[in-house]
Amino acid sequence: MIPFVPGLPADFVTQLLAGMAVNFQIAAIALAVGLALGALLAWSKLGGGILGAAATVLIGLMRAAPTFVVMFFLLNIIPRDATLFGIGVAPSGIMTVALSLVPYSASYVADNGAEALKQLRTGSTLGALLFLPNVTRAFFVLVMSSSAGAAIGVTEGIAVILREAALLPTLDQKLVLFAIGILFFGVTLQVGFAIMRLLQRHLGRRATGA
Amino acid sequence: MRAWPILLFVVAASFAALPAQAETPDAALAKLIEDARAEASVAGACAKPEFDRLVRVFCDNRLRPGVREYYPLFGTRQGQTRSGYDVDVARAVARHLGVEPVFTRVNAASRVPLLADDRIDVILATMGHNTQRDGQVRFIRPHYYQSETIMVGPRALPVKGWPDIGGRTICVTIGNGSNAQIVSHNARLMLFDEAGVLPGQLRDETCTLAAQDDSFFDYYFIEPDFAERFDKKFGFAQVPWGMAVARVASADRLARALDLMSQIFHRDGVFLEIARANRVGTGFLERQQAVWKRPECDTATGSTNPACVLPALKADLEPTPFAGRVAAFESWVKARTGIALSLPMFKTMPAWSLFKDGIANSLILIAGALAATLLFALVLGAVQSTRIFLIRWPARAVTVILQSSPVVLTLVIAAAVAHAFFAYSSAVAIGASIVALGLMNGSNAGQAIAEAMQSLRTERSAGPQRTVELFGRAISRAATQIVSFLINAAKGTPIASFIGAPELLSALTDITAFASGRATTYSLLLVFYVAIVVVVVWLCGRLRILLERRHA
Repeated sequence: MIPFVPGLPADFVTQLLAGMAVNFQIAAIALAVGLALGALLAWSKLGGGILGAAATVLIGLMRAAPTFVVMFFLLNIIPRDATLFGIGVAPSGIMTVALSLVPYSASYVADNGAEALKQLRTGSTLGALLFLPNVTRAFFVLVMSSSAGAAIGVTEGIAVILREAALLPTLDQKLVLFAIGILFFGVTLQVGFAIMRLLQRHLGRRATGA
Repeated sequence: MRAWPILLFVVAASFAALPAQAETPDAALAKLIEDARAEASVAGACAKPEFDRLVRVFCDNRLRPGVREYYPLFGTRQGQTRSGYDVDVARAVARHLGVEPVFTRVNAASRVPLLADDRIDVILATMGHNTQRDGQVRFIRPHYYQSETIMVGPRALPVKGWPDIGGRTICVTIGNGSNAQIVSHNARLMLFDEAGVLPGQLRDETCTLAAQDDSFFDYYFIEPDFAERFDKKFGFAQVPWGMAVARVASADRLARALDLMSQIFHRDGVFLEIARANRVGTGFLERQQAVWKRPECDTATGSTNPACVLPALKADLEPTPFAGRVAAFESWVKARTGIALSLPMFKTMPAWSLFKDGIANSLILIAGALAATLLFALVLGAVQSTRIFLIRWPARAVTVILQSSPVVLTLVIAAAVAHAFFAYSSAVAIGASIVALGLMNGSNAGQAIAEAMQSLRTERSAGPQRTVELFGRAISRAATQIVSFLINAAKGTPIASFIGAPELLSALTDITAFASGRATTYSLLLVFYVAIVVVVVWLCGRLRILLERRHA
């Protein structure tokens, strides 16, 4: 049982961790698709010409697309019984949230990928390697943003907290519960950033041969 | 002898004075079927491209009812086996016509379009008869069932009526006739295609409250574990259910046949028998049987007698003054491009009002979030730049906490605190969203200002340092970060709909809950927000240049 919040179920922490695993799953899918699409866009952008101009416009539009709106757009535009060659292609709730994060991840990867390629061409390996910690940073931003899934019924970490909060009678108890949520997500985020800093330092040492 | 003619005259006069025997629904239906069958048997009659739909039923020897597949007790499917009250009524209708039923799956959103596209002959799919739908389909009278919408939630949840609904998320099915009423009580909707998923969503606590017909939840309340966890909070919008055919002249005789059949089924207890076999409530059907046994109702014209039939639920949405032009534009686009454009937000006054308010609220929200982000950035930047430890470190702690909280959680916390001080209203939800978005993005921008301040102090450690001037330079140095978080704040505004802020996303979700055209609506929404963010990016770019030039 969680202290100060008597109404919570005994397996609340397990449920919360299972929910947070969904947040990580969503972020991983979004980043994987974003890396593939972003690399393609970065390569097209650096190539110049009409393709480069089109890629630049597309990256700009993807950067401007609000995740929450994209999520509702995907949810409502793809029929639940959509099929392609007889195979159901309607995305699940988790996949819908992940796909809604792709415009952000792909534009981020394209921007940083293009910058890394530029650095590589000018001979700055260290500058190019900054791409890796930047991608790690994007991953944790995606983990935090994936909480939007609560709005469409995806049982991720925040949805677990909110469904318990709805049953708590007082604001005090709710605030304690919310603080627990911040603690869990906060620790994850700070550990992630610590890993990112270690990675950055390690790469820096390798690049400079130190 | 003279008495006989007088007696005969009296007897004849007595018979003449009796009211003429009204035609029975049975006789009228038999004649209608006989005529249609005869027409169908004429050589070449069935090859005509446009012909009467009742005749076509006999030509094809089939009736195509649209039924649900995921609505327990009324329309379900396991493999090739269909069952439920609606399904059995469809079978009884087909049997009475002497043809085979060929079922098509429909749901609340697809049933009317499928009928309009002539892919089904009759809707038998838990469809409530309201005045709004009267313009789309031809309802069969008498109605074959009646239900009301009920709000279901966990027993522990203190919800007793409409005042407890404001700001809460209610899970509903798209196209449900009572959605507009729920929206009018400041609730936000989570939309689902099929009612069948709602109990599961309640069980896994994805939905805290779900609204659906009582007939639907009847089945689940039979289950002990469901009944133990959930209860009915309150009911509203009693509505009769009707079979429906297309509102075209060629379907008139089919509609008439179904009207008569429905009368007969009520009078003879056919509906009642089917209801008992499927374990659905029979109160309405028992009352209707008594009505349709009455001599004044049990006639061929009974289905048009206001004393016998039930009125449709009044749910007419007032059209906008330009609804006709919008419809003409939709037709024009379809004729030229083949794209079925649907613009429900311009067609009815409630939708138009929601749409206008949604745009206005979105713009207020964006302007507010930008201003709040800038304000919190400056305040938190200044506080984190101070040399006084006791002020600096709490501000840093607040920043770390805000950075560690997912956006949805921060919004919910802001809303919970706001609701503790103020009664729920749209303004409170918008205000809480502005504060939350401002704090989240402002704390990050403020941290950037503090870091810039620190770097400036290090660079000028030997020289004189006027704090105000230095702070101005720190803002210039952190301009890129500030602009980045301003853009982020603008992009984040749609998420305010999560706590009930009635911005455009929220408004359009409400509109699509009671109107069609989801694809067009959400495409327009995406275009609107991308355009707004592009404008904000451009404005922020100008601001960054201004800030950078000030202290260059």
